[in-house]
Amino acid sequence: MRRFRIGAVLAVLTMVALLALPAAPAAAQTPKSGGSLNIMLREDLAQGFAIHETSTISTVWPAMPCLSNLVIFDPAKQTESTETIIGELAEKWSWQDNFRNLVFFLRKDVKWHDGKPFTSKDVKATFDMLREAPDAPAKLRINPRKDWYANVEAVEAAEPHTVVFRLKRPQPSLLLMLASGYTPVYAAHVNPAVYRTGCVGTGPFKVKEWRKGEFVDYVKNPDYFVKGRPYLDSLRYVVIKERGTRMAALQSGQLDVSFPGEVTKTAAEQLKKAVPQLVVTPVGQMVNDNIILNTKKPPFDNPKIRLAVSYAINRRALIQAVHQGGAVEGAAMAPKPYGVWGVLGKDLAALPGYGKPEDMKARARKLLAEVGVTPQNPLRVEMSTRAIAIYVDMASFVINELKQVGIEASLKQIETAQWHATATRGEYQIGANLTGLGVDDPDGNFYENYACGSPRNYSQYCSEALMKMVDRQSQELDPKKRLEQVAAVQKKIEEDASRPMLDWRVDYFTYWPYVHGLVPHHNIYNFGRMQDVWRDK
Amino acid sequence: MKTYLVERLGIGAVTLLGMSIVIFALLRFAPGDIVDILFSTGGYVRPEERIAIMKELGIDKPYTAQYLEWMGQLLRGDLGKSYNYGSPAWDVIRPKIPVTLELAVLATIVAVLLGVPTGVVSAVRQDTTLDYVLRVLSLAGLSMPSFWLGMVIILGMVTWLGWIPSITYVSPTENFRMHVLQFALPALAVGYRSSALITRITRSALLEVLREDYIRTAWAKGQTERAVVWSHALKNAMLPVITVIGIEFAFLIGGLIVTERVFNLPGVANYLVEAILARDYPIVQNLVMFIAIVVILSNLAVDLLYGFLDPRVRYGG
Repeated sequence: MRRFRIGAVLAVLTMVALLALPAAPAAAQTPKSGGSLNIMLREDLAQGFAIHETSTISTVWPAMPCLSNLVIFDPAKQTESTETIIGELAEKWSWQDNFRNLVFFLRKDVKWHDGKPFTSKDVKATFDMLREAPDAPAKLRINPRKDWYANVEAVEAAEPHTVVFRLKRPQPSLLLMLASGYTPVYAAHVNPAVYRTGCVGTGPFKVKEWRKGEFVDYVKNPDYFVKGRPYLDSLRYVVIKERGTRMAALQSGQLDVSFPGEVTKTAAEQLKKAVPQLVVTPVGQMVNDNIILNTKKPPFDNPKIRLAVSYAINRRALIQAVHQGGAVEGAAMAPKPYGVWGVLGKDLAALPGYGKPEDMKARARKLLAEVGVTPQNPLRVEMSTRAIAIYVDMASFVINELKQVGIEASLKQIETAQWHATATRGEYQIGANLTGLGVDDPDGNFYENYACGSPRNYSQYCSEALMKMVDRQSQELDPKKRLEQVAAVQKKIEEDASRPMLDWRVDYFTYWPYVHGLVPHHNIYNFGRMQDVWRDK
Repeated sequence: MKTYLVERLGIGAVTLLGMSIVIFALLRFAPGDIVDILFSTGGYVRPEERIAIMKELGIDKPYTAQYLEWMGQLLRGDLGKSYNYGSPAWDVIRPKIPVTLELAVLATIVAVLLGVPTGVVSAVRQDTTLDYVLRVLSLAGLSMPSFWLGMVIILGMVTWLGWIPSITYVSPTENFRMHVLQFALPALAVGYRSSALITRITRSALLEVLREDYIRTAWAKGQTERAVVWSHALKNAMLPVITVIGIEFAFLIGGLIVTERVFNLPGVANYLVEAILARDYPIVQNLVMFIAIVVILSNLAVDLLYGFLDPRVRYGG
């Protein structure tokens, strides 16, 4: 009997030990404090830390650890949506008056890096500056996202730790735009110009040194409002302009983390082959390739010719040839799993250019024939694009596709300094372009890239019918109905073919296995805060 | 000698003035300006904001006013403000000068140490297998761009050793060993290319001198090969070699663009490209002037060395 009891006890102990085994790796995942990370940068910080004056990842990625938002997309979740938004400077928030007022209740334990307390005045000053309110205390030199706040009527700092955003009409999307990496809160007592050379933030890291053209060094903010964070003692963002050197630095371990949007599928395969233990995570960049067609000038003021261009381009072939498979098909909004709003399956296949390539080209030829363009009488146009490889490769492919339907395009490369100015002024016929979205949200995209008069609407396309549809979806409070309305907007955009979408780029975000807590999002602009990142080495 | 120096420095000043006009004009005629670049990072352009920034940076003024303002600043020792960074141009440029100077000096040393002995051996052993091998090696050096060689070195090291030198600049006071390692590879890559040119010039100059009567006399007197070649012939063959070394050094100050980029060294040449792309006029103008000054001074140094090496060359007034 005693022997039986001993046996039973041993069996129970064995069972307990076996059950405990899977828990062992979890215990090893307990975050460790200390250490430093070397992070890749491909160019110096354009506009310093002044996120509000730029639209480039080269600023947002290295400036994010210094700053904080009211709300942010959960750093631990890859996909971004309303459901993944968590509080940052705001402890909680509440929509009131049927999505007309958005009230934020702010944390009371937050200090700026210079020791001054954070209050609702900072929030009001930031958003009054962004929406260019008449009584705004400061003005930005460049304000690329003014349109995001067009629906904000007033920002009221009712109490030191309560802020109310009063809207002209319901707009559930506002919360998503506030969660973007592009929407940090600036200090009201600091001139916004200061952010071009330094950073006074409330973020988990404080800027120690920015050696121009070389690196940005951060140290842990001991007064950070999230207790126990950040885990790391310091960060170094290293500027390496040469792509081969960047990859060698990552491969040799001199860099711990790559740059968002930097590693292509081919590069990732080469890195994995050389260093199998590297962690490569494919994520959506929230950056798309598109064709801009100048709707104000012949020949692309003719909808039939625009549509023919869209039909002519074989998207799948482009993804294979230009991106070696490192991109996905999609219309104006990113498709699942990278985005929430994209058109999929048969709905996508029904759009111009997404069917069988032979059928699509035949339809393009038919449309062109209707306006007198034939192989004997080809349409000659000039394809403009930015003079950097990722643009030129795409443009070259499209030129070849267009040639097959009777459009003969010559390539005109425009230097980076001139590209956006040329596009905004409409000094082109047809162009190959890249567009990044700060947030996967229809309002953020449609008002910026398709609204009448928007400076980023490079096609200068203006449709009253479309804008009515955009406004309608913007105010729709039922998510299911809104999804349907957004699909209808995308269909209309592709059928009007002012800016045919070609693909959505995929990033192969790479880091060493000892880096933990860094979850790349399906949007390169929104996961750079670094407060939960730690290293196990 | 004094008059010669004053004359040369006077000519140098006039050259610099001409250079300043050329670089100022070229920058203004190039399409785009800093405002376009600022808007490029914003992804759009608003005309009213554009006008405000042009006014803020002073590039709305007539070109003559801008040029005179720059010249006035230079005379006061003020290099202006970087458009891109908003900080004094000197603060941006200053840390980059020692990096480029060090790399250029090291590469020149490597080039001389490799090029001169190789050229001498090649000349003395003319038309032997050794001569052919050395000539092939020097031809290879001339044919391989140093940036390509640099990239091959980096990729080779990371592939076979899993290691590359530091990709952030390490100062000698911070870690001397690391600093030397960081500069050794680019100096070798650049120095090898320059050495190829020096080898060929040394060889041809020495071959010419070795056929002179006084060399035949030296052989006839029974002097050793070492004494004939290294003491009598080489010194007289050095004038064209010194000229090439001077030109190469001056070229390296502005010509290390891609090498600095490949090895991620924060030097003048590397930064000059960035500044040109950003249309950061104060930085570009002043960096080009710096390079022009180095070229003028190194040419002057070479000319003065002629007199030292060959007593027949005298600078009189």
